[in-house]
Amino acid sequence: METLTHTAAFLFDWHVILAALIGVTWGIMGGALPGISPSITMALLLPFTYTLDPTSAIVLLASTYIGAEYGGSVPAILIRTPGTNAAAATVIDGYEMNRQGKAGLALGISLYSGVIGSLFGLAMLMTLSGPLAKVALAFTPMAYFALGILGLSVIATLSGENLVKGLIAAILGLIIATIGSDPVTGGTRFTFGSAELLGGIEPVMIMVGLFAMSELLVQASKREQDERVTSRPRIQFPDWPLAKRLIPAQIIGNGIGTFEGVMPGAGGTIASFMSYNEARRWSRHPEEFGKGSPEGIAAPETANNTVAETALVPLLSFGIPGSNSTAILLGGFLIHGIVPGPMLFQKSGEVVYGLYAGLFTAAIGQLLIGMAMLPVCIWLVNRPRPYLNAFIFALILSGIYSIHNEAFDLGIMIAAGMLGFFMRMLRFPFLPTVLGLVLGYLVESNFRRSLVLSGDDWMIFVDDRISLGLLILAFLFIGGSIAKRIYDLVRHRPTSTFSESAES
Amino acid sequence: MLTRDFVGGVASIAIGAVYLFFAYQLRTSALDDSMGPGGLPRVYGWLLIGLGAILTIQAIVSRRMAVAGATTDEKGEWDGQGRKLLFAAGLLAIGVGYIFLVETLGYLISVAVLLLVTALYLGAGNKGRVLSVAVLGAIFLWVMFVIVLGVRMPSGLLASLSL
Repeated sequence: METLTHTAAFLFDWHVILAALIGVTWGIMGGALPGISPSITMALLLPFTYTLDPTSAIVLLASTYIGAEYGGSVPAILIRTPGTNAAAATVIDGYEMNRQGKAGLALGISLYSGVIGSLFGLAMLMTLSGPLAKVALAFTPMAYFALGILGLSVIATLSGENLVKGLIAAILGLIIATIGSDPVTGGTRFTFGSAELLGGIEPVMIMVGLFAMSELLVQASKREQDERVTSRPRIQFPDWPLAKRLIPAQIIGNGIGTFEGVMPGAGGTIASFMSYNEARRWSRHPEEFGKGSPEGIAAPETANNTVAETALVPLLSFGIPGSNSTAILLGGFLIHGIVPGPMLFQKSGEVVYGLYAGLFTAAIGQLLIGMAMLPVCIWLVNRPRPYLNAFIFALILSGIYSIHNEAFDLGIMIAAGMLGFFMRMLRFPFLPTVLGLVLGYLVESNFRRSLVLSGDDWMIFVDDRISLGLLILAFLFIGGSIAKRIYDLVRHRPTSTFSESAES
Repeated sequence: MLTRDFVGGVASIAIGAVYLFFAYQLRTSALDDSMGPGGLPRVYGWLLIGLGAILTIQAIVSRRMAVAGATTDEKGEWDGQGRKLLFAAGLLAIGVGYIFLVETLGYLISVAVLLLVTALYLGAGNKGRVLSVAVLGAIFLWVMFVIVLGVRMPSGLLASLSL
């Protein structure tokens, strides 16, 4: 209650309101550009925060983070390009809805779910910071390894009609994740003498290649067949029956997003994929997933927006930045001489309460700014295909170049596009590849660290209670998915497929 | 015989074998943990080969069953794929060309050329419109990335103009 009253005092502070609105607008723009990650978007603002008062500076950066996490879904839905890693799960059903002429509704669902995720995450941040922070501290390398396995367990359901193809796709992702420096010894692996590969391959390059570049190649490959679909340039929010249908998916997104957000290093990508998978598992219409399901947008978008708020728990409570974005935010605190951690609430309580008020304003601002910006985006993607595709090509090449300012990265993205094109031709699913890519480093580094800690005793994964719990959950997920496949096979029911616009 | 699954399975075996070859070349050091940098890559390589083999066998078996039932139309599965590949390769060539030119010509010029060539390649008919889209699109992207976001794009030929 005390937190609420202190926070309410900042709700009408125009410095806070202005910082939140500018931040969220900037964030949406940055997040919507492929290659411009939330942390880059925030880092670009960092120099401007020197001259601001501490509360406005922190609100500006945190609102940018919220906006960027949401902004990633806009190109995911409209041009099949996830603007951020966490938006990769939104591509599946978002782009399918766009192809069906329902871009306005898809964007409306993503915006509405994003705002729900942000508000729920903020409520968790304000009320449960203490207990949630304890959960984060209890996580050991063994638990992180098990968390990675839990994330990978989703592959069993994302593999479509052929589990073997899904597993092959996942291993391709894991293989790409091994390129670069070894996570334990620091030695180089599969770099072939290239300095550009020392730091590994950014997942966004592969994702943009797999999803967007391969789509452009497919469009180019059937030039005569104009598959242009136009959507009304208007945002359409779900009506009451649809909103009611989305509630379970949003609850799942909120729950998983809260859990994943407080784990330093886990991030929104795992949360959005796991939410997608669970939403599908518990949906009354699982057959619609992959073919334009509204729940397939609501669950991941709620999850990654919840993560954007709850990721602040370890930062505010212990000063631990769990991601690049929260590290930039930590930088913002330090610039103003504020040290996040257990004493933050005593020493700089007003900044924290101002931050809460700013995050609330940013969530509401996200709704208003989204409603103003998105019709223009829909109008843009309704332009004739040759112009639109040429512009998308230029946009993704520009975005990828801007990551490291190196033409080498463009080659990686184009190579990933070729891989995606052939995977579509041979009907391999992409999502397991993305999961393997994102989770490969987390799984390998924590697996090996755990073995170093235990002196190669594999029982350490069972002795650690959190690790054991997560591993059991992962095996239940895998077992359940395989059992369902066998059941479908015996009953001669078709296994629901993830078309991902596979080429015929 | 050459179904999509068969080709996918054989390709997986080939990729797995090449990856495994390099995984076994990784140097070990006295400072390595017991698994070492090559441990998991070797597991991934063998798994890929194994799964590729399963997919290949699956493809052969289902093909044999289909032949027995006389229900397949293998030729239809690959109809028109060569032409599609050729068209896609054209776009790929444009992208590769951009990679080689961007640092020499500079961002502004090369992105305008990219927009122009890509739109024409993809079938844009109206030449005047293509030209204006290329110029305006390039200026928009340049303003967005260079001016607004402060990304250091190559200046190339326009370095003297600070563009």
